[in-house]
Amino acid sequence: MQEAFFFGESKHRVFAHYHPAARGDGQILTVICPPLFFEYMHVHSALRNLAIRLSEGDQNVLRLDYRGTGDSFGDIEEFGVSDWVDDIKLAVQEGRKISGSDDVHLIAVRAGALLAARSMEALDCVRRLVLWDPVADGATYLQELRDLQARCIEQHFYMSGADRVEASRECAGHLVSNRMIEGFATLDTNVYASVQKDKLHVICTRKANELHLDGASHFVVPPACDWSAIETRITIHPVMSELLKACLASS
Amino acid sequence: MSGLVLTEEPLQFGEGGRLSGVLTQPDSTSVKVRNPQVFVFLNAGLMHRVGPSRLHVRLARELAPLGFSSLRVDLAGTGDSPRRVGLTNRQSVAADFAEIKKFLDLRLGDVPLILFGLCSGADNAVRLTVGEQRVIGLVLLDPYCSSNGHIVEKARATYFRWLKPFQHIVALKKRLVPRALRDVPYHELPRTVFLTIREAVENRLEPETLRDVPTQDQLRAAFLKIRERKGRILSVFTLVAFQTYYDQAGQLGRVVKVDGYDEFCTEVFWPEATHTYLLEVHRRRIIEEVKTWAVGYSGAK
Repeated sequence: MQEAFFFGESKHRVFAHYHPAARGDGQILTVICPPLFFEYMHVHSALRNLAIRLSEGDQNVLRLDYRGTGDSFGDIEEFGVSDWVDDIKLAVQEGRKISGSDDVHLIAVRAGALLAARSMEALDCVRRLVLWDPVADGATYLQELRDLQARCIEQHFYMSGADRVEASRECAGHLVSNRMIEGFATLDTNVYASVQKDKLHVICTRKANELHLDGASHFVVPPACDWSAIETRITIHPVMSELLKACLASS
Repeated sequence: MSGLVLTEEPLQFGEGGRLSGVLTQPDSTSVKVRNPQVFVFLNAGLMHRVGPSRLHVRLARELAPLGFSSLRVDLAGTGDSPRRVGLTNRQSVAADFAEIKKFLDLRLGDVPLILFGLCSGADNAVRLTVGEQRVIGLVLLDPYCSSNGHIVEKARATYFRWLKPFQHIVALKKRLVPRALRDVPYHELPRTVFLTIREAVENRLEPETLRDVPTQDQLRAAFLKIRERKGRILSVFTLVAFQTYYDQAGQLGRVVKVDGYDEFCTEVFWPEATHTYLLEVHRRRIIEEVKTWAVGYSGAK
């Protein structure tokens, strides 16, 4: 059974789902940090299934929507990277309060990995950080999204000139603030380097996209997830699911 | 949520709390007029209740200051609501809708409903309208609209079906085959997928036939019911409709053939927008379109 709720400041509330552990002592809280923009839409159902699977064991699981995404309050352009990092910290705090768990694990997907790694600086309680197809560099990631937007506009024969101009200011179909662009520019592989290596597990679904971090455990698990497609649906392959569970359970 | 013109409440309702949703209501202290009509947002395909690029979230929040409440709900098998085992999609949607009505009865009373749906959400909205007296409005984004025998439509169908059979197969394959298998050569596809495509091709099915669309009679019946209930309908057709089944402004009106269509229906042909409103510039416009249309209900019964 899951429970949905809002938490945080009244004007910008964060939405989350809490899945209590079905068995065991429930001493572990796993917080799922989703990806951003359209990638979140594609993986929503997979992350829900993952949360259910983990909570069927002995883990309490919390899934959050960053502010301006999903059911949380606000629009993306109102926020910056630091706000989303704060959302993760707040989610950990809230999850610990609800679950009573002392040990926290984070699973972070794509750009969520950059945010989660940054949040680790202030989260001593996190014992494990599992990254799924992590984005290596924030600035490159934003540029890829802009390129995607440009391709989308280019292929759209029926768009008026005025719409093209307006759409070219968007990033993956969203307006983003300068604060966010600046924030992403500060997130590169160094953000992962600051995480204690024995806590870090990296799972990639495509060899070519593998992010290699010295000292961390690495896995490459096909089939590759097609994150660059604007309209697709990402599922969790059973092998991936087992691997995520194993990474969270490993000592 | 003080200081805001709305309140939002996450919900688990229905048998065993199986349906997940969010109820958005105007804040009684900040919003002067409260309209009785409640917008019910139905899922677009497999997308969860936030809608494509959060379209449903933003619409619900922008309709609240106008005095409208909204329920965004994950129908069984989508988003955070588990699937109903052993039921067909139509049976499952009907069972969900019964639970939605029961919930709204308890929380807001016997309120009139406006169903909002994109693509398959529009198909569901059309089917649900006929049997439910409380539905007095529809917002249909890319509803299915069959041909009205227009020469352009006939030419396009002939072109693809007979002169470009390969493109016809590709279109069918795109609809039928999971993304991971799309690059697999036709003859190497798994047998079940291969047979499904072959059957579709042999039966000369149009790609849109593969969507569980309402029949023309059901569509007409829904429009007649809304007219009878003195309600209104907003239909918007985008690029995907233009590329597949809709190629002339006003086609829907000509297909449903309902007297007084223009008096209660607004039909928008908008080929520059994509089916799932991927771009903010188009989302902004559809939100304004729906808001303007909704204002017409203020003071309506």
